[in-house]
Amino acid sequence: MEGVGWQEFFSLFRYALIAALLAACVLPVVGCFLFVRRTSFHGIALPQLALAGVALGFALLPWCVRHLGWPAADPQAALDSKHALMNYSLSWAGLFSFGGLAVLLALGRRGDNEIGRVAAAFAIANASIYIFTRWAPVGKAEVDELLQGELSYVGIHELHTLLVVLLLVLGVLFLFHRDLVLVSFDREMSRVLGKRVLAFEALLLVLTGLTVAVGTMILGPTLLFGLLILPPLAARLYAKSMLAYFFLAAGFGVLQVVLGALAGFRIDLPLGPAMVGCGALLLVPGLFRRP
Amino acid sequence: MVTLLKLEQAGFGYGSKMVVSGVDLTVDAGDFLGIVGPNGAGKTTLFRGLLGLLQPQCGRIERAPGAIGYVPQRENLDPIYPVSVAEVVHMGAYGRLRGLRGFPRVDRERAAQLLVRVGLADKGSAAFASLSGGQRQRVLIARALMKNPQLLLLDEPTSGVDRGAQQKILELLHDLHAREHIAVLLVSHQVSMLRSAVEEVLWVSDGRVRRGPTREILAPENLDRVYEDASSGAPEED
Repeated sequence: MEGVGWQEFFSLFRYALIAALLAACVLPVVGCFLFVRRTSFHGIALPQLALAGVALGFALLPWCVRHLGWPAADPQAALDSKHALMNYSLSWAGLFSFGGLAVLLALGRRGDNEIGRVAAAFAIANASIYIFTRWAPVGKAEVDELLQGELSYVGIHELHTLLVVLLLVLGVLFLFHRDLVLVSFDREMSRVLGKRVLAFEALLLVLTGLTVAVGTMILGPTLLFGLLILPPLAARLYAKSMLAYFFLAAGFGVLQVVLGALAGFRIDLPLGPAMVGCGALLLVPGLFRRP
Repeated sequence: MVTLLKLEQAGFGYGSKMVVSGVDLTVDAGDFLGIVGPNGAGKTTLFRGLLGLLQPQCGRIERAPGAIGYVPQRENLDPIYPVSVAEVVHMGAYGRLRGLRGFPRVDRERAAQLLVRVGLADKGSAAFASLSGGQRQRVLIARALMKNPQLLLLDEPTSGVDRGAQQKILELLHDLHAREHIAVLLVSHQVSMLRSAVEEVLWVSDGRVRRGPTREILAPENLDRVYEDASSGAPEED
């Protein structure tokens, strides 16, 4: 960044950098489950759906301010009440993430083409973002910032929310990692051993939906895609056990964020895309490995 | 003789469709049985019913508590998972682990002993997907043994492996049967293998199950009579 020193850069983006590092420790682990369950495409479609939800929230903000007792006189003033606005947007992101997951799973039970289904969800969500943003009298700048992955809007409220949700997700993954791996790897064996397979599968979906909703709201879909998909893909080349896989993926995630922050600072790039670009570099050694 | 599995007029199926019915069967400690029959006759349905993955639609089934160890078809396990051999064997003990409890040392040691037992002592840290088909099958047998079962139920344990690997798997099963008195019930479509490996089979055909000596039920003239058109759904003469 031109004319900005390290200290200024860190001071300006400290919450964003801490949030990105925190996300780098947790999102790749969630992504590992998406990858081995062959549902990585969910990691692309769901953040887009969540952002469509946020955009719809902005479109409906005037109505909500008028009718739902919002503590602001008009939509423009509502944008200034950061905490209330974040909770409001988070609700929309969660509604669309979980709603999208439910619809994808319901359609999946009919056995039609999954990749086509998820690709359609992505396309519809992408178009919806622009349509809802066009309808919204306010919030266009916020949605654009999320799309561009600048991370400049991450403040202390966002960091607290991300911290609480991601620590919760990480705690649950740690607590149940054996069951979640078993249920994913060998469903029938799980049932023979008396595991509650549907409950654990539902738990994985809830963790995925929660991560996506909060991650989209705070980091934007670009960095979210990058952390859910690239580190697990790179780590799969080297891991020889599931435990090693989780740690390697999280390690690659942190490396991706650190290198991305350096690149963003040195070459003056938006932080989110710079971090994803560095994540892509992690895949390069895999091109030279024999399958 | 201890009875491990007992079915009385049991029927299994999916939704409203009954696939096998009227099954009367007793599996005792010391049994070594094969399940064989044409494609679509209900072998898999019966197998799933014995395991408890399908509830009987009629009749009743009794299982000795904790008696069954399950060995799935290895092709059903996706190689995209970077699980280690040790992790796969440990899964056999997950049924008795809850929450934050670490993996007990006693189970860790048992897993290591079982890998020695199945002839894969040095493979604990190898990636499961990197093993040959026969080796993977023996890992899955070790996993099933983590439960200390009295009965092993195996789904196509020798399908898709070469003769050497097939021989090793059968030797292991016979050894477990002879030395540790573990009963064995295996589904297979490989008639020649069953003729040499098991003395009794359950013949599943037209939704019915018949138990009898292998030599009689799988006699070539019998099979010819059953399969007028030998190419349609007949078990393999390997």
